[in-house]
Amino acid sequence: MDQMNKTILLVEDNPDDVKLTLRAFKRNNVANPIVVARDGVEALDYLFARGAYAGRRGKALPALILLDLKLPRLDGLAVLKAVRAEELTRLIPLVVLTSSKEEQDMVQSYTLGANSYVRKPVNFSEFLEAARVLGIYWLMINQAPPEPLQA
Amino acid sequence: MKIRLKERLATGSTLVVIGLLALAIGWAYLEVGDANRQRQQASEISLGLTQVRLVTFEYRQYRLERARVQWFTATDHLDRLIASSTYSGSAQREIIGRLRASRVLVRNIFTALSAVPVAEAGAAVSDESRRRFELQLDSRLLVVQQDSLNDAFRLTELATERINRAQERVLVVIGIGLTSIALVTLGTSWLIRRSILGPVVSLQQATEEIAAGNWEHRLGLAGDDEIGALAGNFDAMVRKLRDAHAELARRNRALIASNEELEAFSYSVSHDLRAPLRSMDGFSLMLLEDYSEQLDEEGKDALQRIRGASQRMGAIIDDLLRLSHVTRVELAVKPLDLSAMARDIADEIDREHSDRALAWVIEAGLRLSADPALMRIALDNLLRNACKFSAHSERPLIRVGALPGDARNTYFVADNGVGFDMAYSDKLFGAFQRLHHASDFPGSGIGLAIVQRIIRRHHGRVWAESTQGRGATFFFDLKEANNGPDEQDHPAG
Repeated sequence: MDQMNKTILLVEDNPDDVKLTLRAFKRNNVANPIVVARDGVEALDYLFARGAYAGRRGKALPALILLDLKLPRLDGLAVLKAVRAEELTRLIPLVVLTSSKEEQDMVQSYTLGANSYVRKPVNFSEFLEAARVLGIYWLMINQAPPEPLQA
Repeated sequence: MKIRLKERLATGSTLVVIGLLALAIGWAYLEVGDANRQRQQASEISLGLTQVRLVTFEYRQYRLERARVQWFTATDHLDRLIASSTYSGSAQREIIGRLRASRVLVRNIFTALSAVPVAEAGAAVSDESRRRFELQLDSRLLVVQQDSLNDAFRLTELATERINRAQERVLVVIGIGLTSIALVTLGTSWLIRRSILGPVVSLQQATEEIAAGNWEHRLGLAGDDEIGALAGNFDAMVRKLRDAHAELARRNRALIASNEELEAFSYSVSHDLRAPLRSMDGFSLMLLEDYSEQLDEEGKDALQRIRGASQRMGAIIDDLLRLSHVTRVELAVKPLDLSAMARDIADEIDREHSDRALAWVIEAGLRLSADPALMRIALDNLLRNACKFSAHSERPLIRVGALPGDARNTYFVADNGVGFDMAYSDKLFGAFQRLHHASDFPGSGIGLAIVQRIIRRHHGRVWAESTQGRGATFFFDLKEANNGPDEQDHPAG
């Protein structure tokens, strides 16, 4: 599959952050389709083709998950745990993208199998740079694992 | 009754019994002595009587004048003996009275007898009647003297009886006394067991119970003696300890709760407070980038200021979180090389400020025990502070060392920068307190507050001295950090 068509799943509840993240990727010429899940349950529904996303059965899984930690309903760490627990999704690269740099968040994220932990800086210029590096690394440089289809 | 009183009573009654015994023995001694004397007197009286009888017999036989004189001498002697006798009993006095009467009688008879003229030849009739008279007097004398002798023996017997009686009485008194002493001893021992040993055992069990954490245990020993008072005090003490313990536990729980709240608060701050700032900065930048043609210079400046403010507030939040972090983080104290740490930080600062010629004088071999991560944060803040405030100095010099010959091991970081006004030195370590304008020396004013929290968590002190315009010196010590757990911030352990 073409690098540019790989989907990115952005799990983020704050609409400002969604907009800014999308803008950051766009400005860095990351043209991949980005799906936004606004809470943990929605993210898992999308990944496992349940609920509103039941129609996605058999469709391709995202090539990268960007996961905020503080989410309504089901928080980021629970999503991470569920993703890593499922055979289908356990190899998908997952980057924790969050406000906090609390030690407990970092340690737990890595323990549960996050591939990367990025703190969203207040300075948007710095965030642009972070988004650029993320796009280059995870979508271009990094060799993704063989891609399974939705069961 | 108080134990002290009981003990005094026991000792007192023993002493009284012993005293009575001594009195009884003394009385017996006197009694026996007196009785002996009386027996002696009785013997002498018997002897005197016998003597008088002998002389009477002699005189009757030979009618010698010498014998008559001797008789009176012996009788006078006997009378004196009887007169000087010291008998006190009624029986004895009666006997003495009889003896006295006999003596008078005997004297009269003897005088009468000696008045009878010596028998002459040729006076047969009158001789016959005189001889009969003499014989009558003789036998009367014999009878009276025999009676007196019997009385004297009776006196001896009475004295002997008195001695025997005294001995018997002493025996009885000693027996009663010894029995009393034995009873008092037994009573005292029982008393000690009941009023001291028993309660002491209860007390020992109570201390074990309480040591095991059973705060509800009560001695409950009543009584108006010292042990009762002790038990009362003990129970009161345990109640107070229990209350204090409960209060401590309550405060500890409150502290844990407030710690957890603080934890939750800073977690929330860390996540939620920065998000709006990102929006402000991000969308301001979007306006600047996408709508720059529509904006004049003033509009662009305003947006830049919004961005600046957002980023400053982000930095302040980060500083606050750092301050909260050094308060909450668990201490892991170990020996460390402060000199090496200072050199490392100095190198880092030099790399960041390659345009400035900073001179470092770092004393070698500074070793102390502290949490390495926290100590590095503290030292980093102190060195960066020194670097910052000597920015305008001609030849900036930063010295790190220890005060010589100081038992508490006081370390210092000194610079030759602008220094500060000692009048405000109490504000130096407060969070967000600044003694300089941010335009002169940037910063949030949290660095020294962090330093102070770290040093305090090591049970140390931090203070500063300065002469304005001639640099500042920051001192700290951590003497008590090396031993004992950190009880300042983590009551729950």
